[in-house]
Amino acid sequence: MQTVVLSAASITKPHGVKPMDARGHIFDIQSFSVHDGPGCRTTVFMTGCPLQCRWCANPESWIYGKHLMFAQASCKWDKGCDVCLSVCPTGAITMEPGQPPQVDWNKCKDCHDFPCTSICPNRALKQCVREYTSDELLQILRRDFSSWGSNGGVTFSGGDPITQHDFLIEVLKGCQKLGIHTAIETSAHFPREKFLDVMQYIDFAFIDVKNMDSEAHKAGTGVGNELILDNIRALKQSGWKGRLVLRQPVICGYNDSEENAKKLISFMKENDLFEINLLKFHRLGQTKWEQLGKTYDYATGGEMTDEAMTALQSLYLDAGIACYIGHHTSF
Amino acid sequence: MESNELKLQEILKARGITDEQLKEVQEQDIPAAAESFQRIMDIYYLLKVTADMESAYWYNRVWWENDGDLLEVRRAKAVAASLAHSTPTILPYEKLVMNKTKHLRGAFPFPWVCASFFNSLAESLMEEAEAPAENEADSVSVVGAGGGNVTESYGEIISIAKKFGMRKEDIPVLVKVSKYWDGISVEDISTKYAKTLPGYEQFQNVMDSVLVMFDSFAIPQGREVMNYYMPLQYGFDGILELCDEKIAETMGEAGGDGILGMSRGYYYAAMKEIVKGLSQWCENYARKAEDLASREPDEAYKKNYLEIAQVMHNIAHKRPSTFREALQLTLCMHLGVVNEDPQSGQSIGRLGQVLQPFYEKDIADGTTTEEEVVELLELYRIKITCIECFASAGVSGGVLSGNTFNNLSLGGQNHDGLSAVTPLEYLIIEAGMRAQTPQPTLSILYDEKLPEDFLMKAAACTKLGMGYPAWMNNQVGMNFMLRQYGPEGMDLYDARAWCLGGCLESAPGCFLPLEYNGKVTMIPGGASPTCGTGIHFTGLPKVLELVLTNGVDKRTGKRVFPPHNKKLETFDELLDQWKEYLDISNRVVNKVNNIQMDVWRKYNMPAVNSLLKPDCFKKGQHIGNCGARYNACINFESCGTITFINSLASLKKNVYDTKKYTLEEMTDAMLHNFGFRTAYDTGVFSPDYRESTDDAQKYAAIFADCINAPKYGNADPYADQLLRDYHMYLMHYLPTLESFFGKPEYLCQISVSTHGPQGFITLATADGRLAGTTYSDGSVSAAPGTDKNGVYALFESATVYDHSQNQNAQMNLKLHPSSVQGVQGTRKLLELVRTYMRKGGFHVQFNVVSSDTLKEAQKTPDQYRDLMVRVAGFTQYWCEIGKPIQDEVIYRTEYEEV
Repeated sequence: MQTVVLSAASITKPHGVKPMDARGHIFDIQSFSVHDGPGCRTTVFMTGCPLQCRWCANPESWIYGKHLMFAQASCKWDKGCDVCLSVCPTGAITMEPGQPPQVDWNKCKDCHDFPCTSICPNRALKQCVREYTSDELLQILRRDFSSWGSNGGVTFSGGDPITQHDFLIEVLKGCQKLGIHTAIETSAHFPREKFLDVMQYIDFAFIDVKNMDSEAHKAGTGVGNELILDNIRALKQSGWKGRLVLRQPVICGYNDSEENAKKLISFMKENDLFEINLLKFHRLGQTKWEQLGKTYDYATGGEMTDEAMTALQSLYLDAGIACYIGHHTSF
Repeated sequence: MESNELKLQEILKARGITDEQLKEVQEQDIPAAAESFQRIMDIYYLLKVTADMESAYWYNRVWWENDGDLLEVRRAKAVAASLAHSTPTILPYEKLVMNKTKHLRGAFPFPWVCASFFNSLAESLMEEAEAPAENEADSVSVVGAGGGNVTESYGEIISIAKKFGMRKEDIPVLVKVSKYWDGISVEDISTKYAKTLPGYEQFQNVMDSVLVMFDSFAIPQGREVMNYYMPLQYGFDGILELCDEKIAETMGEAGGDGILGMSRGYYYAAMKEIVKGLSQWCENYARKAEDLASREPDEAYKKNYLEIAQVMHNIAHKRPSTFREALQLTLCMHLGVVNEDPQSGQSIGRLGQVLQPFYEKDIADGTTTEEEVVELLELYRIKITCIECFASAGVSGGVLSGNTFNNLSLGGQNHDGLSAVTPLEYLIIEAGMRAQTPQPTLSILYDEKLPEDFLMKAAACTKLGMGYPAWMNNQVGMNFMLRQYGPEGMDLYDARAWCLGGCLESAPGCFLPLEYNGKVTMIPGGASPTCGTGIHFTGLPKVLELVLTNGVDKRTGKRVFPPHNKKLETFDELLDQWKEYLDISNRVVNKVNNIQMDVWRKYNMPAVNSLLKPDCFKKGQHIGNCGARYNACINFESCGTITFINSLASLKKNVYDTKKYTLEEMTDAMLHNFGFRTAYDTGVFSPDYRESTDDAQKYAAIFADCINAPKYGNADPYADQLLRDYHMYLMHYLPTLESFFGKPEYLCQISVSTHGPQGFITLATADGRLAGTTYSDGSVSAAPGTDKNGVYALFESATVYDHSQNQNAQMNLKLHPSSVQGVQGTRKLLELVRTYMRKGGFHVQFNVVSSDTLKEAQKTPDQYRDLMVRVAGFTQYWCEIGKPIQDEVIYRTEYEEV
């Protein structure tokens, strides 16, 4: 499939910028979410992330505000459909005879209401990101509360939900009031106070440690790992009562070495951490990169074999660390 | 791997993670099915669906030999003869025996019910020429081309109804037997009187347009629950003695009933005939087994045949004295009933509760083991899977997708109001997991009182992907029972005996005292005639289309309803007109179906079933004479509910609320298929296939507004409120229709597979669905691809009304296998079911399969011969269902996470 290429940086807000409005920016709310914490859950995917991992499965989260996604595979241009052309206010969508529509992402980013998404009958053009007030979000969580069963709850994911710190705190306070179990998936790459501030409302956390080598971490994600590791230490020392599971997407040639595992094991031992969830590299996010007009670095390479995953698991287990692979967890 | 698993558990244990959670890490493997099962399935996969004339010949012969006898006796003699002359066939490895016919996957035609089909084919069959013009419903039904269906003639085999193969030498018999019934079959007689109705032309218009697609006589029995009590309690010889006692008591006595009182004596005389036939049928199998044993050199096979001979000989006379005999006897009764009429949905009921006393005794005595019982239950699955229904293509393909819905229910409450789950029911699920066949489908009557380990076992079975068990809400079912059958005297005890008759028809039952093993057990069973005839399969969106076109079917150019000539200036006016058209259709279709069923019950009254159903034997009246305990069972069946609701939502929004378009503009856009080529042109019926015409640009905006109008299934009150109003209306309206039993009708909503053919005849709808494509499935499933807020929001929408207002509500969900992996995946699946049940949802069922797998299977069906999917209320082999339904299943929203 042809990919519309544009530099990611030009449509992404710089890291750390956190608009101070009262609305949360959310790009998906998934119910019956069963791999994002204990039990059955509702997972809220929030935009904004301090990291930009080259293998990211949710690259749409990098753009904070409303934006367009174009799934060319769903486009019926070859069946004669061209209704989007006439409504595009910025002239970003163009079409050459015999060719699928092209999106000029630079022009598109100036759009506000994306009329192309409401005329596209095939949902090939979709608006990504919706704004919610904390009350609106809590209303949905309250509705889903009766569906989670005894040990489920809400998981905040993204992106990195702490990017929207103020909104998140407001929602978390609401959850606490309702008695909703809360989980988070975070990079922990935030100023310590901000990070701990959020974590005091969290019952269960996944924190990603992508690489123990800070340089490599930076190469893969755009930032070093010092702040992340410091925050994990600080969290453990803060007397936090929640359950912490580290996570690591294992990518061949990037962080699958024995050395990397051993370093992480020592770190976990030092901090009395005993659970890690290794996720075998997958390409399920690839089409999203294409839908955003971005180039995906991992179109090839990175695959792990089951044997290699098991071998890594053994390293952790022999060190007394409960290491889960994929969905095969104890929660 | 193994050692890693153990290490992981040790670490978790040391960290104080409980045993309970530890178990979640590991899941047990499912043992293989018994060798006997596998051997017979190897044969099954190769079998074609076969029709032959043996049973029909004997029925016809004995019927005419008894010309002039009282009808109920004559009928019983004819049915008895068809059973007693059926050639027994026993395969090596079989432990349970008996088939509908001499063929394993066999069936036979019933020309005395419907002869025109065969008579019209007679010449062409004889000449081997092409089939004559088919009726409308047949020509829009597509039977799956793969598997055991014989869709085309080949070699010495003639294809009938695009499904059955009949050997050439049987054809002259078919033609000759059918001739006898020309003009006097149930179909012919009822048509003769229906034509005297003032509105008969209206009826024809409705049927020709396929707005309603079903005649009651096509499958006059079924969608009900078997009752095995009589033979289990008394045995055949015991019943014969009882009949003699009753004849002595009632013959020649009116008993205070001047109309039907005298017929009691004749009823018992008829019952003697049918019992003798059933007994002979069993005895024939005993002799066949003895014969095979006498010629069998292999000791193991020989022993097996001798065991069969003993079982069959015993049950031919005595009440059963082992679990195996009891199971064999229930199978005999089941096949006896399905052989007396064309039927589907003759359901097994709560077999694990009925047979528990026999199982319990054998296990306590040490005469059998759990494994032996599981093997028998596996073999039982093959027997039920082999039950075929001989009907026209419109019925077997369009309505049934080839499944005959012999549903087996588990759970619910017992007579005392406690959990009814028995140890035997665990084994029934186990057999369903090991021995994966489409039938019997399993239904869990979910009640908060059921043990958790039982529910977990059932959930573990559901997630294997065969589509069973489905989950029904016991409390909702009981409430419906009391609502519908309360006026006939149903109390709480009988309400507890309900279960599924057919794929999803809640059917009333009762408990009866079985004396066995020195104690009395209250066993449940069915207590009504069919809960699935009446006004069947009315395409609700098509009615709405006809409102917009002033009564003319623009697909065919024919007028269906009288013109209303209204401007429809308000939404209420639009809805009122829809109600009016629906009522015009219902009034006349109801009358015609009443005549059909009345003629059926006069000439073709159930024989075997009238023996079994309480309180026929007590009252001395067959089912046709209201012998059953509950008779308010006839109903109106809808199709395309959500397509209809979404269309209303779009019209309300775009025409009446925002006033963005006029009704004329909307109608124009729909008639032009929103500027896309129609499925009739392209041959592609997938809901998401859209090919633009030159008009596309013209209708682009209106189409987008239709697509983006509020849709049911997103917890959006705008659309959901319309569903609630619809249900409120039908609950009050339908009882104004009276069935041939003189009882009020009610709403049944299982589209089975009719959302394919009825979608076919419906032009584009205001929700953005294109012409000819399949309607939304089930009654509360979202239209494919329109539920965007997740499954919890869908549940919220589905439960905006009280599901006990009517017989059923159907929810189909598709889950990606990865979402329910492992034991904790099982728990999460159960949690999902429980969530829906707690909200008052009546039914939910799952396809645990990825769309990719299904697409692959569509391309290369041969490699997926054993793949099964859940369609409406049933499971069927993928390769044996038609393509429009396959497309619909693929396009259902898949709940998964990545």
